[in-house]
Amino acid sequence: MKKRLYLELENCIGCRSCLAACTQCGGHEERNRNYVYDVNPLVNRQTMPLMCLHCVNPACARSCPAQAIQIHETGAVLSALVEKCIGCQNCTIACPYGIPKFDTEQNLMYKCDLCIDRTKDGIPPMCASVCPSNTLQWLTDEEIEAKQKQFNLDNGKWVTSMPYLEGETNVRVNLPGILQGVTKLF
Amino acid sequence: MQTNTPLNKKSDSINNAFASKFAKSMFLTVSAIVVLSFIATRMFTHVDLNLYGYMVGTIVFIGGFFYRFIAWGERPPTKIFIKKGLKLLKRKSTPKTAVNHLAIYDFIKNRGLYRWIQHILIGWGCVLACLVTFPLVFGWMYFTMDDMGQYTIVLMGMDLMTVKADGIIAWFSYNALNISAVMVISGVCMALYRRLKNMQARAEQKFIYDFLPLYLLIFISVTGLLLTVQNVWLHGWMQPQMSLIHQFSVIVTLIYLPFGKLAHIPFRPVSVFARNYREHYAEQEEKKCKVCGDHFVSVEQSNDVIQVLGVNAIEFNMEDGFNLAELCLPCRRKYRISRFSGFATHQVKVKEANQNAKG
Repeated sequence: MKKRLYLELENCIGCRSCLAACTQCGGHEERNRNYVYDVNPLVNRQTMPLMCLHCVNPACARSCPAQAIQIHETGAVLSALVEKCIGCQNCTIACPYGIPKFDTEQNLMYKCDLCIDRTKDGIPPMCASVCPSNTLQWLTDEEIEAKQKQFNLDNGKWVTSMPYLEGETNVRVNLPGILQGVTKLF
Repeated sequence: MQTNTPLNKKSDSINNAFASKFAKSMFLTVSAIVVLSFIATRMFTHVDLNLYGYMVGTIVFIGGFFYRFIAWGERPPTKIFIKKGLKLLKRKSTPKTAVNHLAIYDFIKNRGLYRWIQHILIGWGCVLACLVTFPLVFGWMYFTMDDMGQYTIVLMGMDLMTVKADGIIAWFSYNALNISAVMVISGVCMALYRRLKNMQARAEQKFIYDFLPLYLLIFISVTGLLLTVQNVWLHGWMQPQMSLIHQFSVIVTLIYLPFGKLAHIPFRPVSVFARNYREHYAEQEEKKCKVCGDHFVSVEQSNDVIQVLGVNAIEFNMEDGFNLAELCLPCRRKYRISRFSGFATHQVKVKEANQNAKG
């Protein structure tokens, strides 16, 4: 059963478990590839995670002169192939979400690969396996559809990916609480 | 009298003699090799026909190489880097960058000393082997013995030097390929050991992409070394058969080279172009982030990326009056948060909180 990463952004409690888990993934060499942001840092403690959304038509791969960014058959946009990346940093400029990181010393870009060694076998990515607040979930399309029914709003404001993103993505993003006006306990 | 109108200019171009870029590159390269061989072998009188299989293999390799390289170079981002990179080749820093990226691989050292040593051994082993093999195959270099015990090394048809047949230079000439084989075998063994033991590597590697080229290299090196073993210790027993097997291994690897992991060898010089491009245009004019005003990339690269994405029908022009490629990375991430939350996170003048977990 094909599963996707599904984000309910405002569940995030800012614990940064996802960052720590990311460092432990095979091939990540103990460096995290995702982000957690304060929404309004001087006023409240709401945070939101930001990770690669694995675009269907990824700008990073389109802008790569070396074909170093490959797209896996599961739809995951992989990190740069170490022998191909020429260190031009086009991908960091192209990505609409500012995700790719660049190591100047190693002349190498690295980005979220959706823990491909895990997800290719249906195991959830590290971030989703550790998230304590259900911000990051690993769901089938049916389960995501059920979420849609659960959070169905009269105003049609069900958000997965579009229109809050720049293009169709393999990761689904949702903001149920904020759109429903529900105050979360987190 | 108007004889040379601009109209004629285009039809006179040499490019019109060829059906395609591929045909032109192929024709010019093969012609150059033939001409060089004609000169070097003193009008084809010193061709080593024992090596003719390699000759055919190399021509097939050149076909595959141009096919792959031209297809690759036609991609919009690649085209920009090759075009602008060639213009910037005269930069003062070029030799230093080239040596750094193509000869001593400093960036691999920063990925780990072990990986650097294995890459130096494999890389330079292969370079050394190519420097010996191809001149011999095309007759650009050969040996003659005019006086007993004295070899004359002939390079491009000219007598380069005369050396003692049992001297040190001659010894290195005979054993250059053995030395390179030992280098490659040690390097490949290090690489295989890493791929078996290192959990990071094991997570991502694939047999066909990561192991096959290593096995091919070891296949070439071992069969090559066996030739020496057979000659020196076995009185040439089974040497003709082994020489065919060795030839097969080399030709298969050559044909495979432009299409697998080894394709990074011919493509790697573009990393020098990329470094020059970044350095040169950063000196020209730096782009200011539309939100925080920090310099983060050259104006040229920002425009190039926007243009390349445009070719791919991707446009990130925001209602707020900027293109996403005009924001620095932290601002771009904060801007996304603002799109999600409806609150203008990117306008809050607070540095992003720590984003680096200690692994």
